[in-house]
Amino acid sequence: MNKRIIFFILGRLLLIESFFLILSAIVSLIYGEQEYKAFLYTAGLSIGVGLIAWLLNRKTEKVLGKKEGYVIVSLVWVIFSLFGALPFVFSGSTPNYADAFFETMSGFTTTGSSILDAKQIDELAYGLHFWRSITQWMGGMGIIVMAIAIFPILGIGGMQLFVAEVPGPSKDKLHPRIKETAKRLWGIYILFTLAEAVLLYLSNYINPGDNPVTVFDAICHSFTTMATGGYSTHGASIAYWQSSYIHYVIIFFMIIAGTNFTLSYFAMQGKFHKMRHDEEFKSYIGIIIVFTVMITFFLVFIHDNEIARSFRDSLFQVVSIITTTGFATVDYIKWAPFMYVIIFVLMFLGGSAGSTGGGMKIVRVVLIIKNSYFELRRLLHPHAIIPVKFNKQSVDAKIITNVLAFMVIYVMIFVFGTIVISSMNYNLDTSMGAVAATLGNIGPGIGKVGPAENFAHFPDFAKWFLSFLMLLGRLELFTIFVLFSRSFWRK
Amino acid sequence: MEIIIAGAGEVGTHLAKLLSKENHNITVIDKDAHKVHLVSSHSDVMGVVDNAISFYVLKNAGISSCDLFISVTENEETNITAAILAKKLGAKKTIARIDNNEFLLEENKDVINDLGIDSLIYPQKLASEEIIQLLKQTGSTETFDFSQGHLSLYTIKLEKGAPIIGKSLKDVSNESNEFDYRAIAIYRKSKTIIPNGNDVFQENDLVYVISNKSGVSSLMKTTGKEKIAIKNVMILGGSRIGKRTAKELQKKMNVKLIERNEEKSKELADILNDTLVLNGDGSDTELLLEEGIKKMDAFIAVTDNSETNILSCLLAKRFGVKKTIAEIENIDFIDLAEDIGIDTIINKKLLAASKIYGYTISAEVSTVKCLTGTEAEVMEFIAHEGSKITNKPLSEVDFPDNAIIGGVTKGNNSFIAKGDTVIEANDRVVVFTLPEAIHKLEKFFK
Repeated sequence: MNKRIIFFILGRLLLIESFFLILSAIVSLIYGEQEYKAFLYTAGLSIGVGLIAWLLNRKTEKVLGKKEGYVIVSLVWVIFSLFGALPFVFSGSTPNYADAFFETMSGFTTTGSSILDAKQIDELAYGLHFWRSITQWMGGMGIIVMAIAIFPILGIGGMQLFVAEVPGPSKDKLHPRIKETAKRLWGIYILFTLAEAVLLYLSNYINPGDNPVTVFDAICHSFTTMATGGYSTHGASIAYWQSSYIHYVIIFFMIIAGTNFTLSYFAMQGKFHKMRHDEEFKSYIGIIIVFTVMITFFLVFIHDNEIARSFRDSLFQVVSIITTTGFATVDYIKWAPFMYVIIFVLMFLGGSAGSTGGGMKIVRVVLIIKNSYFELRRLLHPHAIIPVKFNKQSVDAKIITNVLAFMVIYVMIFVFGTIVISSMNYNLDTSMGAVAATLGNIGPGIGKVGPAENFAHFPDFAKWFLSFLMLLGRLELFTIFVLFSRSFWRK
Repeated sequence: MEIIIAGAGEVGTHLAKLLSKENHNITVIDKDAHKVHLVSSHSDVMGVVDNAISFYVLKNAGISSCDLFISVTENEETNITAAILAKKLGAKKTIARIDNNEFLLEENKDVINDLGIDSLIYPQKLASEEIIQLLKQTGSTETFDFSQGHLSLYTIKLEKGAPIIGKSLKDVSNESNEFDYRAIAIYRKSKTIIPNGNDVFQENDLVYVISNKSGVSSLMKTTGKEKIAIKNVMILGGSRIGKRTAKELQKKMNVKLIERNEEKSKELADILNDTLVLNGDGSDTELLLEEGIKKMDAFIAVTDNSETNILSCLLAKRFGVKKTIAEIENIDFIDLAEDIGIDTIINKKLLAASKIYGYTISAEVSTVKCLTGTEAEVMEFIAHEGSKITNKPLSEVDFPDNAIIGGVTKGNNSFIAKGDTVIEANDRVVVFTLPEAIHKLEKFFK
């Protein structure tokens, strides 16, 4: 393995993070806060380390193999979080480094689980809010995807990196060149973010709620919606605004963020048929409709709630969980157990492949259900050739095996994680909730980590452990696990 | 350039790899998902798993804005149909690979062009042309002419006892007064080195030399190669390459052709009037001895089986044949076969890829040659008025590390490049380059 190329590229990537740190410092300065120092110290440190790593290794042969690709992609998320946690510590807002790291990893992986309680969030400095939101925004479309779009050097081995970072069982290109693909993906991502920010700000004129949406709120929430992150600048999350317009705008953009960006790109080119005929997209919308109707029904009949309100609440929570965003307009833990169990099930589905959402991804679930069903037919007709078809094309058996392995490992980690957390004296609800919420990059779970709670009460070890689960979930298990396999390190 | 390649076989894959390193956007279409996966994970190209003969597939791949459509699947009919479709759907230029010489005949050219196919590639013909070229210059394993033959590239393998071994480049240039040739690259232990004055030649080096006409004889002398006049040739395998080569050579030399299949042998005997066609097995030592292999000047193995070709060439080498040429299908074997002593390897896929590659190069480049066994290429540029390379000595030009200027042709005179050589507008410049530097070169000549 060529270690120098790894340091060379990581060094350059750190400069990207430094840029966003400086941006946060500027935001701090605009609001006249002292936190800008924390950002500048961190930026100085990361620029220094980045430059040293870059310049010391710039003479190395610029060849990226598969192995280097996996190491770079895994390390960059860890290193970004290690540095990204520093502003929280330096500013004194979160003195414990384990807490700060958890918060940052939760940001980059677009999980949105927080160690801050509602009151602390309301009192948090603007600069730190901005940093929390921007970490999610960077992590949403992907640090590596951004780097491929910016740095020409990543063009050659770019595909290795792209494959290791972009979620989903098969990765589509939008353009023959990886760099152009990355540019287009980030382009529509930025476009959607801007559109949402404008629409959210317009709520002040169209359907003002009890609280105004400031420019700052609009920008931060667009960052965290499009990334399916879920950090909010208010302790009450989206429930801070009781405006149906705001809720529906956010629902709409959460749905887009959970859709394969390749499809959105085609739709923007006017090729709507691609979206209409895409099986994953149809299943995704189908699941949202079925679960929303179900929960609306129970909210109306069990809790005697008003229909329009129940529909909006159930749609918001269903979309927020399935896209793994994690915003809340109500505390679903207070619903009847049956309903939050449904919500818990949704946590495993996740968004579409090639979206910013986490979880297992709809396409995998659909493939497995189809394959399992066909397995019955195969029993009856042992000689029949029954391929699993997706979007009218038969899926390679290799992909099915890969998806099966993914699901099995995912469930195994979930079980293992639940055991680890429960060993620290937490009940089953909380243990399962915390693991499902972090592994699926969702944010809030069930039990003591529900939408109205936070993760501060966990011991440090649990915070490190859950941070690791977030990373596993974001990079879809294999990218990280392959580093732990013996054959990876064998010469 | 927007390029679509139909067929991810060896030619398609090699082309995709070559072209993606430059500023081209490439889409590769093939029915075989595994092949597409391989090419798209090794090169920065878009892979499409589908049949290339489909309006839907071609349109989706962006045929309307395509500058060059290359169809190189295994099947001739597919290639022709795909190229015709591509042209009608908007591809600016189409190239199809064929297996039949009839298409290439001058009288049929109009029909082909009317159909919408701009160029045809017939790898077997390229291979036989290459073989004939090689027999003319036996000292080198590969030759290529630039500027209408004013400058040539020779690839020379340094065998034990060559006078040049142990000397540095400086020593060699000090020994001769004339500066007629120059080593521009050395291929040693699977690595291509661009040498400086202090690099020393070693045994088994493959040396790439640019030479003008007057330098050839002294070049052959210092590298320990004597020119052999080829009189007797034995060809193994009555494949299309074998047939074409025999047909070309039979007038000038004594040609014996061995073919295993009896039917085929009879057919060949009908066509090749001046060739002795033998029906037998090439691995049959008795037969080879009986037919006088020891007296042969050259042995050419072009059966459909690469292993047979390699082994029979080794056999011929042991019987003292000076020049052995083997056709090898598998690109990965090339290095190996050269190592164990076969003089020259012919690979028709690389030849085809090299030829097609020539269609993609920009206006500044007039000729290009991809070298067998290494990824390097030799290109001939035309220096434009006011370009960066002109009007100052080469030693003052900040030329990329991975490329080197071999020679310059001014009008009808050719020189080997030195530090004090000054390139003027409209000079033709031969440059040896590794793939990393290709995209940097253009700006020097624009």
